Amino acid sequence: MSLHVIKAGLQSSLQGVPYRGHRHIGMPAAGAADCLSLAFANHLVGKEYGALAIEITLDDAKFSIGKKSTLALAGASSFLRINGSDQPKYEAVAVKPGDIVHIGSAKQGCRSYLALSGTFCAQSLLGGQSTYLPAGLGGFSGRSLLDGDDLDWTDPATMPPPTAPMPAKLQTRITNDFIIRITDGPECDWLAPRSKANLTESVWEIGNQTSRMGISLNGRPLQITGSANMHSAPAFSGTVQCPPNGQPFLLGPDAQTTGGYPRIAQVIRADRHLIGQLRPGGRIQFVAITPKRATEIYREKLVQLTRWAGNIHLW
Amino acid sequence: MAEAILQFHVCDDWISCALPDAETSLMASASLRHNPQWLEIVAGLDSLAVQFDPAHLDPEEAAILFRQQLTDVGKHALDTFEKIEIPVCYDDLFSPDLNWVSERLDIPTADLPAWHSGLQFNVTMLGFMPGFAYLSCQDKIAEIGRLDRPRSKVAAGSIGITGRQSCLYSFESPGGWPIVGRTPIKLFDSANDHPALLSAGQHVSFRAIDRDEFEHLAHPANR
Repeated sequence: MSLHVIKAGLQSSLQGVPYRGHRHIGMPAAGAADCLSLAFANHLVGKEYGALAIEITLDDAKFSIGKKSTLALAGASSFLRINGSDQPKYEAVAVKPGDIVHIGSAKQGCRSYLALSGTFCAQSLLGGQSTYLPAGLGGFSGRSLLDGDDLDWTDPATMPPPTAPMPAKLQTRITNDFIIRITDGPECDWLAPRSKANLTESVWEIGNQTSRMGISLNGRPLQITGSANMHSAPAFSGTVQCPPNGQPFLLGPDAQTTGGYPRIAQVIRADRHLIGQLRPGGRIQFVAITPKRATEIYREKLVQLTRWAGNIHLW
Repeated sequence: MAEAILQFHVCDDWISCALPDAETSLMASASLRHNPQWLEIVAGLDSLAVQFDPAHLDPEEAAILFRQQLTDVGKHALDTFEKIEIPVCYDDLFSPDLNWVSERLDIPTADLPAWHSGLQFNVTMLGFMPGFAYLSCQDKIAEIGRLDRPRSKVAAGSIGITGRQSCLYSFESPGGWPIVGRTPIKLFDSANDHPALLSAGQHVSFRAIDRDEFEHLAHPANR
């Protein structure tokens, strides 16, 4: 036994890189909802940006350590305590058998990532290991962790060299209010002109219907004009769809591969990691930009991140 | 494909193209699949989308490539797709809506299994869940719609029908399709290199089986 789950919290699951190239057989991306926090935690323990880590949602969680290791915590959690004493987030921390790791609930934002220097043992399929919860695939028996679970990991051949602490300017400021940049979606012209302006002028509140599959947005309803009758069409993580009731929703990493509602906007790749930090009651404002500008922003972001974290991709 | 009919929409890491129908989307999707620059190629019922890595490819360049590849799509005949026969048990236990469907289609309940297993279908797309198949019947069938109240749990292997459209549930999930039978065959087996049993374009027919054969096929190791 390498890691014993004392308290799993609301939803904790093993997440790493998404599944790629299988959407045509209906396999969604899955993977870390906040890929940037995942990459930070992994880099601090000397691992690839997309290695499996424990994604912890809103609630606090508690684990006991069975084997010597190094861990790092990134994301929304309000504290990291080992045997009751506070430890820094965004730094590598050595742990030994018997240590109790307590991860504080998120007071702002939504998800945290606990990376360990060992490699988690997990179900593999389609070249990935992330947990896809709706179909019970991948990860730890295809499901969220439960109190009492025991996870195994294999130790790395060599202990990773110490990583410099993360430059503070790279950290995402995790709050309850985010500005998220979007491009037009394929059916953005189905919005009445007033509604198209409303999409970016309004502040949208994150609804209670929020999960890894999707996030409901509450605000002044949007109006879809013309033919509201749409055939199922491809959608991706970060696609904003608008059903007839005018209350849009934002697709998350576990969202199905096709959808039957107008795709009015698409969150740009550089900002998509923020989706993992949206919590019920939080607020977002959309800013519309062009695909060309979105690509520049993404590349600039990768250059900055690569300086500290080496090879990195976001999704 | 004639370039004039193609309508594109470019996002920062994916592009969609509106296409005339499901058949065209399928052909285009099959024809583009070998191109390495696309991370995903996903067909909708009358559109196709490709996703790419914007670290290496500009959206404008991607759009030019996509347009070029789509205009090069030839007329693959749909009969190049495989045929597959799927065993289905129509027993009461597996077909909670057999009566509902038979009333609406005006076919006696006892005749429904023979009628349904005599139909020919095409897989229009996979979606909703991994391996979940949307099927379209080649014959005309009256539209009967979905259940007024979706079920919170539909068993894996269930076959739903709303008229010409049918579906196969790959996993237990919520769902609103009227259910007329169940296959014991796994529609998505993660132990397999190609986990989805079906692929878009395939021709599907059903073979009626009894409970014994269902149990035998569902648990071959027990026999």
